Amino acid sequence: MPPHPSLGFGLGLRVDHYETILHDLPAVDWFEALTENYLVPGGKPLYHLMRIREHYPMVMHGVSLSIGSAEPLNRAYLDELKALAQRIEPAWISDHLCWTGVGGKNLHDLLPLPYTDEALKHVVARVRTVQDILGRRILLENVSSYVSFCDSRMTEWDFLRTVAEEADCLILLDVNNIYVSSINHEFDPHEYLAAIPIERVQQMHLAGHQNHGDYLIDTHDHPVPDPVWALYAAAVRRFGPVSTMIERDANIPPLGELQLELAAARRVAASALIDTRWQRAG
Amino acid sequence: MARLESIENDFQSFLLTGSAEIEKRVVGTQRVPIATRLAIYGNGYRSRLIETLEAHYPALLALLGEEEFAALGRAYVQAHDSSFASIRFYGGALGAFLAGYPGYAANPWLSELAHFEWAMNDVFDAADAASVDVQALGLIAPEDWGELGFDLHPSVRRLDLAWNAPALWRALTSAQPHPPPDAQARPVPWLLWRRELQILFRPLTGLEAEALDAVRQGRSFGGICVALCTALAEEEVPGRAAAFLREWVESGMIVGMRTCRE
Repeated sequence: MPPHPSLGFGLGLRVDHYETILHDLPAVDWFEALTENYLVPGGKPLYHLMRIREHYPMVMHGVSLSIGSAEPLNRAYLDELKALAQRIEPAWISDHLCWTGVGGKNLHDLLPLPYTDEALKHVVARVRTVQDILGRRILLENVSSYVSFCDSRMTEWDFLRTVAEEADCLILLDVNNIYVSSINHEFDPHEYLAAIPIERVQQMHLAGHQNHGDYLIDTHDHPVPDPVWALYAAAVRRFGPVSTMIERDANIPPLGELQLELAAARRVAASALIDTRWQRAG
Repeated sequence: MARLESIENDFQSFLLTGSAEIEKRVVGTQRVPIATRLAIYGNGYRSRLIETLEAHYPALLALLGEEEFAALGRAYVQAHDSSFASIRFYGGALGAFLAGYPGYAANPWLSELAHFEWAMNDVFDAADAASVDVQALGLIAPEDWGELGFDLHPSVRRLDLAWNAPALWRALTSAQPHPPPDAQARPVPWLLWRRELQILFRPLTGLEAEALDAVRQGRSFGGICVALCTALAEEEVPGRAAAFLREWVESGMIVGMRTCRE
């Protein structure tokens, strides 16, 4: 089992829902706050974040760590991240196994890495540094990708597993991203799940995507589709009752609609756990 | 790290300039060729930045319409890379960009509207600070007034506007019919600030603007009075300065008072 106890079923915290959350205190187990939205001096964003934090467990999820960038780590960003974490006291902090820019630029996208020994060593060393600075283990999330590099010498799942093991960090497994990449790169998503060490998976993301026929784009603007639910069930059978959340970034529906989707996640997970017990009993 | 660095440089050049070097370093499939795959990143890069411009310039978006705003956004993205950890801060140069944008040389109010909207964004998430209570003014000994300095709330912004940008903004962001862009006889000083979580803005008289600008420059009450002397009879000055101050304190704009020797 991963080091932190499961938080249950959560949602991504979105501006559209602030008022409803504070007014209704809905039955959502926890919220995931997007770190960069709160790297501002003050005002409404931080006010709402702190008030919601009083009622719910929270985790912080960043997009600008750029752990795979060839340029030095952005210390100013890490200091801001650490200061925010001191205020929020999140259960954990996550970002992505990707890079977001070089030469001081931020491309505001989660860009893929070549899966090489060189990139592996580089990322492992940086994760260790980040964990030293933050004084805690971080979670890294697998991203959706649309290209692979000629240089790559291993699979994405071997790369992710080795980073986690060698840097001693945890994993945020995005089930939708695995599915999207499995279509785009024509691999078996179950092979991916089977390669990921159970004790390192601290959190899972569920989301929707856009189907462009020959490929999928990870847009987070649709409900979780059937193939992602099926893969989630397989993930729960392997990893157990891991903290799970639904991540909607665009085309955001009323909170009640996301709660219904979260209830579906609870059902899929419960049913998968029963399957597992039956298999064990049998 | 040399190969990783060169791959990332090539990828970034593709996104920023359309350079094709990266094509040699990635693989496609028969079903999805390299160009289609890279285009997903190229389109995503531009649309993400244009979306953040839309979110931070709602009045400009309503005025131009989606299509024209997107064209402006594409031109801005072409001209401006981001170096911000938070995408919130991308887009701060749109007002200046519009001022120099050939297509809008005849529409100078657009640039001003953008400046106004960006100032609103800054007021929205400026640092918090507890305002001074109006009773604190009554506790100041008469002999201490001359050297008294004031700290403004971090959200306070001052703009001089040559057009009716605030009226345009108000109408456009509440989906009301907006007035025609209207050039003022001379630039009007405007004040924007946040009280608790509420964003406020109002025009200033020339005199109040002068007094406020003296505070923004860190001058004491005595210094404010000196600034007002050019426009007022000497005996009127302390009373007017004190009235402005009271108004600012009551509006939550003053967060600290201290001795300040000039």
